[in-house]
Amino acid sequence: MELQQYDLLLVEDNASDAEMTIRALRKSNLASRLMHVRDGDEALDFLFSEGVFAGMESQLAIKIILLDLKMSRVNGKEVLVKIKADPRTQRIPVVVLTSSKEDADIEECYQLGANGYVVKPVVFDDFLKCIADIGLYWLIVNEPPYEQSKTTPS
Amino acid sequence: MQAEALIIANNELVFQNAEKEKRAAELIIANKELAFQNEEKEKRAAELIIANKELAFQNEEKGKRAAELTIANRELAFQNDEKGKRAAELMVANKELAFQNEEKGKRAAELTIANKELAFQNDEKGKRAAELTIANKELAFQNEEKEKRASELTIANKELAFQNEEKGKRAAELTIANEELAFQNDEKGKRAAELTIANKELAFQNEEKEKRASELTIANDELAFQNEEKGKRAAELTIANKELAFQNVEKEKRASELTIANRELKKAEDGIRQLNEELEQKVIQRTAQFETVNKELESFSYSVAHDLRTPLRAVHGYARILMEDHSAHLSGEAHRVMSNIMVYAIKMGKLIDDLLTFSRLGRKELVKVTIPMHDMVLSLCQEVKSEHPNRNIEITVHPLQSVQGDSITIKQVWLNLVSNAVKYSKLKKTTRIEIGCGVLGDEVDYYVKDNGAGFDMRYASKLFGVFQRLHSDETFEGTGVGLAIVHRIISKHGGRVWAEGKVNEGAIFNFSLPRNTPA
Repeated sequence: MELQQYDLLLVEDNASDAEMTIRALRKSNLASRLMHVRDGDEALDFLFSEGVFAGMESQLAIKIILLDLKMSRVNGKEVLVKIKADPRTQRIPVVVLTSSKEDADIEECYQLGANGYVVKPVVFDDFLKCIADIGLYWLIVNEPPYEQSKTTPS
Repeated sequence: MQAEALIIANNELVFQNAEKEKRAAELIIANKELAFQNEEKEKRAAELIIANKELAFQNEEKGKRAAELTIANRELAFQNDEKGKRAAELMVANKELAFQNEEKGKRAAELTIANKELAFQNDEKGKRAAELTIANKELAFQNEEKEKRASELTIANKELAFQNEEKGKRAAELTIANEELAFQNDEKGKRAAELTIANKELAFQNEEKEKRASELTIANDELAFQNEEKGKRAAELTIANKELAFQNVEKEKRASELTIANRELKKAEDGIRQLNEELEQKVIQRTAQFETVNKELESFSYSVAHDLRTPLRAVHGYARILMEDHSAHLSGEAHRVMSNIMVYAIKMGKLIDDLLTFSRLGRKELVKVTIPMHDMVLSLCQEVKSEHPNRNIEITVHPLQSVQGDSITIKQVWLNLVSNAVKYSKLKKTTRIEIGCGVLGDEVDYYVKDNGAGFDMRYASKLFGVFQRLHSDETFEGTGVGLAIVHRIISKHGGRVWAEGKVNEGAIFNFSLPRNTPA
């Protein structure tokens, strides 16, 4: 049984964006307890230790979920609805990371319970800074709603 | 003795003859009396004949009048026939007359009875005359007896007897004459009575007829007056009827005209309704089409935003990673190429951002408020100036009229115009920008004037098109979307944009906004 406690879940189906994001976080030393999944189903399985993640320690004490909106299969909004509808996960902070600046999207995501909405900058330097800021805030500055398990990461 | 006895008997006879002579003288007197009475009766009969003739004449006259009245009655009857209602009234009057006639019939019957009474009285007088005749006959018989006795007595008496006989003959003749006279008187009396009755009857009938005639005359006058009145009213009614008939005809004409007009209107209405229904149907269809197109556009914009930016970010990001992680393996030329890759990636990112802004403008609803135009422009100019701290920029802002509009997009307009003015005058030592407005009718014209590169008026029409640029990217960087955004925002506000310029002498960009924008 894998007893790894994560504090950041990146839900991103685009490989390049995922790579850039992980690079940005790693540069700021914020990627040590990061889990990257490629779609909504995986994200929910991860949180509830189901499917491919069965047998893993519960990840309900995760500190932040970075959620891409546009994904194949189960999209970001559907994942958001499920997280916010389940009493076990509804208090986990979710920051929507997307390329869309559409007002309707912003409005809808907050309506569904998103805790933040960030438009990914095209210019890489801006993007790096943006991701670093988010990681820093949610992983270090912000007090998470759940106490972390005493199990220390290996 | 016997002589004495005879003398005594003669004396007796003489005495008796003397008595008879006395009676004969009395009878002569009586006869004379009767003759006088007969004469008187003849005179009265003559007078009665004259009176009868007079009456007959009057009767004839009355008959004529009666005939005239009959004619008049027929005339009246004809008139009565003509006048239906009046005829009924006359019928009633006729019944009344019939009743009166009946009454007269009764009176006539009573008169007949009275006549019979008179006839009976005449009869009685005849009987008395017969009794007198009988008495005369008695006397004659007695005289005959006495003559017999006288003849028996003396021949001398024969003379007396003869004389008496003569007297008796005369008396008989007188008696016969008297009887004749009595009979004639009787007849005349009867006739006179009959005539009297007939005259009375005629007089009564005449009186009645005159009464009736006068009543009929009054009734006729009344009828004539009423007829005249009715005639007048009928004439008035006829005129009124003609007037009404004329008005009815006019009204019918108008009614038929109105009916036709109504039918036309109804047809037109039906047509319009049908057209409206068709139009509504079309509008619904078009709206559905537009909604579909809009959704497609939204999803297109979304795709542009997400799908174009993501690879662009990757291009830029990987170039960056290459330069960061593998710098040692790259030549100077490789560095320059990598730099250009990043520059154009950035430029493309900017293009995508501007395009998205432009496309969003088309869909976004304007929120209209009164914009404090002067304050907005002043603070905006300060921001723009602060972005170019190394340049000498002078901006003059004349008082600006406030209007209704969408604050965010109007600010975008000013930002684009002022930024352009600054950008295209960067080659001048001092950038001079003048901002002002003028009220013209229902709209306010705003302008931004610069002393920059200006433009060739031949290409003025291309200024506000998307991706249309009049300068090279090397000289003046830009995406060619800024003025297109200005155009779109002002158009959405119901205003106009236009520009004037001269190469190297600057340009004036104008836009107008309606003063009283409907809510």
